[in-house]
Amino acid sequence: MSAGCPPQSPAVAKTEVPVEGECPLLAATFAYWDNILGPRVRHIWAPKSEQPLLLLSDGEITFLANHTLNGEILRSAECGAVDVKFFVLAEKGVIIVSLIFDGELKGDKNTCALSIILPQTELAFYLPLHTVCVERLKHIIRKGRIWMQKGYNIISVLTSEIVPIMELLSSMKTHSVPEDIDIKDTVLNDDDIGDSCHEDFLHKAISSHLQTCGCSMVVGSNPDKVNKIVRTLCLFLTPAERKCSRLCRAESSFRYDTGLFVQGLLKDSTGSFVLPFRQVLYSPYPTTHIDVDVNTVKQMAPCHEHTYNQRRYMRSELSALWKAASEEDVGPDTVIHTDENFTPDLNVFQDVMHKDTLVKSFLDEVFLLRPGLGLRSTFLAQFLLLLHRRALTLLKYIEDETQKGKKPFRSLRSLKTDLDLTVEGDLNIVMALAEKLKAGLHSFVFGKPFYTSVQERDVLMSF
Amino acid sequence: MIGSPDLVAFTKDDDFGEAYVDPCLLPEEFSVPLFTHVGNSNPWSKTSYAKFSKDFILISEFSEQVGPQPLLTIPDESKVCGTFDLNYFSLRIMSVDYQASFVGHPPGSNYPKLNFVEDSKVVLGDSKEGAFAYVHHLTLYDLEARGFVRPFCMAYISADERKIMQQFQELSSEFSKASECLKAGNRKAFANELVKKLKDLEYTRTVLHKETELQKKNSGCYSTQAIEKANELANVEKSIYEHKDLLRQITSYPNRKRKDCEFLPYDSVKPSDSSEVEQKSTSNESNPEDQSEIISSKRRPSYTPQLIKGKSAKCFDKRLKTLEELCDFYFFHQTMDQLRLIESTFRGDLCYIYTKQIDQALLKKQKITNFLFEEYKDWEEEEALKEFCGGDLIPTDNLPPISIVPDDTETLESHTSCMEGVHSKMEPETSEEGLQEAELTESSPCDLTQENSDEGADAEMKGSLSSAESGEVTGPETPLHVERPPESSASSADLQPQCAEVAGGNTVSASDSSDDNAEVPSAACSVVPECPRASYQSAIYEEGPSVKVCTDVAHKLESPVPTQSKEVKDNGVLKTGTVVQVDAACCMGQERLVYEEPSPELAQEGCADAVVKQEPQSCLQRDSTLQADLTLGATALAEGPSTGLSPFEPNPDSLSDEMSRMYLDDVSDSASFMSTSTNSDRTSSPFLYGNPLTVKQKKRAGQNALRFIRQYPFAQQAIFCLLSGRTLVVLGVDERTVRKLVNALSIFVPNLGKYGETVQPWLSSPFQLTDLQNWKLIGLHRMASPTGSSMLHSLNRYSRYISILDTDQKTLRCPPYRGALIGRMADHRTQIKRGSTYFMHVQCMLTQLCSKAFLYTFCHHLHLPISPSEDQVSVASRRTAFLQQHLGFNEEDSKMVQFLSELIKHYYLQGPSRMVSPPVFCFSYIPSFLYKI
Repeated sequence: MSAGCPPQSPAVAKTEVPVEGECPLLAATFAYWDNILGPRVRHIWAPKSEQPLLLLSDGEITFLANHTLNGEILRSAECGAVDVKFFVLAEKGVIIVSLIFDGELKGDKNTCALSIILPQTELAFYLPLHTVCVERLKHIIRKGRIWMQKGYNIISVLTSEIVPIMELLSSMKTHSVPEDIDIKDTVLNDDDIGDSCHEDFLHKAISSHLQTCGCSMVVGSNPDKVNKIVRTLCLFLTPAERKCSRLCRAESSFRYDTGLFVQGLLKDSTGSFVLPFRQVLYSPYPTTHIDVDVNTVKQMAPCHEHTYNQRRYMRSELSALWKAASEEDVGPDTVIHTDENFTPDLNVFQDVMHKDTLVKSFLDEVFLLRPGLGLRSTFLAQFLLLLHRRALTLLKYIEDETQKGKKPFRSLRSLKTDLDLTVEGDLNIVMALAEKLKAGLHSFVFGKPFYTSVQERDVLMSF
Repeated sequence: MIGSPDLVAFTKDDDFGEAYVDPCLLPEEFSVPLFTHVGNSNPWSKTSYAKFSKDFILISEFSEQVGPQPLLTIPDESKVCGTFDLNYFSLRIMSVDYQASFVGHPPGSNYPKLNFVEDSKVVLGDSKEGAFAYVHHLTLYDLEARGFVRPFCMAYISADERKIMQQFQELSSEFSKASECLKAGNRKAFANELVKKLKDLEYTRTVLHKETELQKKNSGCYSTQAIEKANELANVEKSIYEHKDLLRQITSYPNRKRKDCEFLPYDSVKPSDSSEVEQKSTSNESNPEDQSEIISSKRRPSYTPQLIKGKSAKCFDKRLKTLEELCDFYFFHQTMDQLRLIESTFRGDLCYIYTKQIDQALLKKQKITNFLFEEYKDWEEEEALKEFCGGDLIPTDNLPPISIVPDDTETLESHTSCMEGVHSKMEPETSEEGLQEAELTESSPCDLTQENSDEGADAEMKGSLSSAESGEVTGPETPLHVERPPESSASSADLQPQCAEVAGGNTVSASDSSDDNAEVPSAACSVVPECPRASYQSAIYEEGPSVKVCTDVAHKLESPVPTQSKEVKDNGVLKTGTVVQVDAACCMGQERLVYEEPSPELAQEGCADAVVKQEPQSCLQRDSTLQADLTLGATALAEGPSTGLSPFEPNPDSLSDEMSRMYLDDVSDSASFMSTSTNSDRTSSPFLYGNPLTVKQKKRAGQNALRFIRQYPFAQQAIFCLLSGRTLVVLGVDERTVRKLVNALSIFVPNLGKYGETVQPWLSSPFQLTDLQNWKLIGLHRMASPTGSSMLHSLNRYSRYISILDTDQKTLRCPPYRGALIGRMADHRTQIKRGSTYFMHVQCMLTQLCSKAFLYTFCHHLHLPISPSEDQVSVASRRTAFLQQHLGFNEEDSKMVQFLSELIKHYYLQGPSRMVSPPVFCFSYIPSFLYKI
């Protein structure tokens, strides 16, 4: 009998996941719509925490999980679509995030739901992390669907992502960056530029951080130093983005987590930190890599290239799963590069090529204001306001030029002149902010020439 | 001739040989697309497959008779929903009982128990339909319904999934308010229904009792009829107990349910029993709900109990109550208003909504410079006042939580006060347009913008950026001619302290007002000056030494500023009042009088019982006796700078209400005499006198500004004048042209004021020197009449202080500009297509300029001597060096930064209150040039 069959007993299989500290997640469930029995929970993952927030019985979990599928009998989504549902059930005091998808079980197409359940008190904590969790779960569902199609056990595939998500939420509970950052805890409180951080390094770090949509990882051996830079970079984020950033843990480093905006990572005793290539590439935005030990700043390719590389890797990974001959052949955790047509470029981090004037003049000027009086915070707010307004203006300019995307954008030169963005670094910063406001902007503006050049390169390579 | 390439398009795989599919190839349904935007899709095309044109709100019900059904949509236009299947979507969102509550007879209980369930919130989508929704589930009570409950939901439906999740907390909060309001009204209606039912039952019991007695007498105790009647009576008795219990439950709605809710429409539900109503009407402690009840009870006739038959109608025979019937009239309409407000607040593209939220949060952190170019925010003055009063050096940088405040419409907070205005709601509603017409003024200083038809196509953008577009959103809803209970008055005063102040100082109370002037309290509240304007650092440039006397006097007049020399104070002409005798400065002497006169805001504040519809006018046109009276007041003011009254501050001693009224009448007459054409363009103006300027209006002005910089090669010089504090006069015969240019240039005026007070869009009388302190941009009517010649005379007289843009001759007379800053914001070669985009670009540049001015103002070691030996010259040269070398500005650019810096300094030192010291004159001997096209 295939491993894809549900357990014969009505008892629901359960995995207890040991989690350090407080885990805000109550449970995760995998349920499906059984054509005879209706909604049915197949598996429950529950954290095994020292400080459990709230205990739900298996019956309650099953009741809630069933609820997520109840309305889905009318589902008419396209094949392969993953729909997200979000419940705040005040009567039950819980929030549930459900990802609804179709999958093959016992040879039938079934509607399935992968859900995570949290206490309602964690709503404000969870909301900034919603996109991170959903995007990661969506990808594991893509892999799980292939697994189900082949008749393998989806639970092991799902476990490979649910456990890290539990760990992520647990780590965010203790180490997330606060919404309000005191400028005194940052480099911007120095009496003069360069006091605690080299001037050029600071400029490069902030500039690259903004060019990569505010997505950065800070690596170092000294947790205080790492966290000071993390907080400094977070000053340039919105409050919601800050809540989606994580400080470095002093005792031992967290794993790199895909989707966080800024994260501090501690090097091991050998002075190194191993970055998982796949996770870094799966980040929604390109990332800046900052090493505070050696003062280096490196960044990934701009958004459109990053997205293209990411998609290619994803397709390759899914393709490899599809080709796998047996369940053991490709384990869920195994890094796969079996697609002979695709060789990923592992050298994803490059030097920061483009200088800017925006951050440069900001840093030159902010240290002229006396620290500790709130003047620098006001000046920073003015700088951020300027950046956001410029991003929106740029977006509106492109919107006008292209009639909201109906025509291709061909007036980049005019845009640079009209909006005073002739310096490449400035344009990158403003474009990155605009990308966050309107996803896909980079691909729309720069995509076509890039894709053409990539195709040309591929054609040349094939000879 | 048909070639092979033409045929290729028609070729396809035939049925016999299907294309070979490699089993090793991953099917597309399991993969991800390589390109994010394939085909015609683009970042804006998310909504292309949605079957509705814009976001809307849907209210659905799970009917016990027909199942899930849509009830109404907001906006209530069929085209909004398009071909979107509301029935199907209602079925989808209402098919599950997410509240999962128990209502009915719980085990062990004899009577039905009402369960006050919490609302549930669900976000779901239909990816195939391209519809995503925030769904707010709630339960209403209905005595006729199964289990007494009627499940409803309110759904915000959008094609943008990201928008729903990103705005989840805001949506949740706003819908909770709407839900609380609806449920409160429902509880009230339910309680009333129970009272009626109880009366019916009691009446039935009485009738049955009599009949039973009769039966007993006629045919004995054990006859069939008697037993039937006895059973019936017992059932009625039971029913009475049950209904009483229900009434007890609904009237003791648990307080805990309302503790977390910010939006408390009323205290508790009490049935509208006639005796209770009487009690309420005598009680002073009545709440809004009570008031609504009083009104409704007064309106309807007393209830006549009816006999209830033994068997009620079958389930499907009865007609279920509509949503409106389930809820108290007043609360229902309040809920609808709230839902309309939600719809308008969240309308449009997410990126604009989100950026606006970020902007608001950031602007709260830089209150010190917001007065320069930002839209006025009500919270700003209050908070800034607190901070300045508290003696903080600089506003603190605590980032406030992001909140949505719609543009220039009532805020959600003000909604609470609306709840108090029960009476006003009962009156036939006056449309917003009607109010606008009523409030139109003779000549509005705020009348800056013109209708811009070119921007019509940009409707969506506007909608997204300003929530005020919807005509359905109610305006300021201060209750009119309402006899407010003390509590509600107090809460209203909290919300609108200025209103309370006006009402308090007024001899005619709001409640005394007749219907004709019923809008007076409302109007007065809406135009109360709350502008945190800094006093102007008037940069009046002078060409020759011949006017030196004048400058001295000017100094003396305006001097009580720490920077002024002691000599000036000692020579204070202000003490003597003889300035009128000085020829060169005679205008100033008079202007001083003008200066002391109330602005329109002041006038309105001073006598709120009159609807003031006048702009400030030169005192030369006014009654001399009144001038004399005002002179005294002015002198008194001038003598005592410690009184701290600003030109916008009423002097309670010298300007009584009656005097104000006299004065206003006078002004009104003279104004109408002076300018008969001032309202010629009124219909095209989107402005309301007394309404704050909004970004939306400025955006419309952007189109005129864009035309201006393309048409006039000396646009940069004109903008330079405005940004460096030199008054610009736009002179012309054609009112429309002048108004358009004033409108265009108004976006560059620093410290424009809440109502655009610093701009005079159309003036048909000579202006005075002090007018130049208040007005930084003036549209002047060129007339071929004695008045016209006197105007030209005044122009010549003050030509050294002002710049003149002649729209007829197409010339500009002003100092030269050779800087680089304005070139970036006003380049005639710009490819920017839309006025709104151009305004956004200008806004960016002005934000940058503000930032530089802030830096210059607060840069340490820049304005004070570093050592005791350092003199003022060294400090000045250090400042110049900073501007030129560090910031890279030339002389003209530096001048702009210095001017803005002076404004910031004044604002900082004197605070945002109206208690600002008189402005300071400064001089710069720069010749003007004449620019031609």
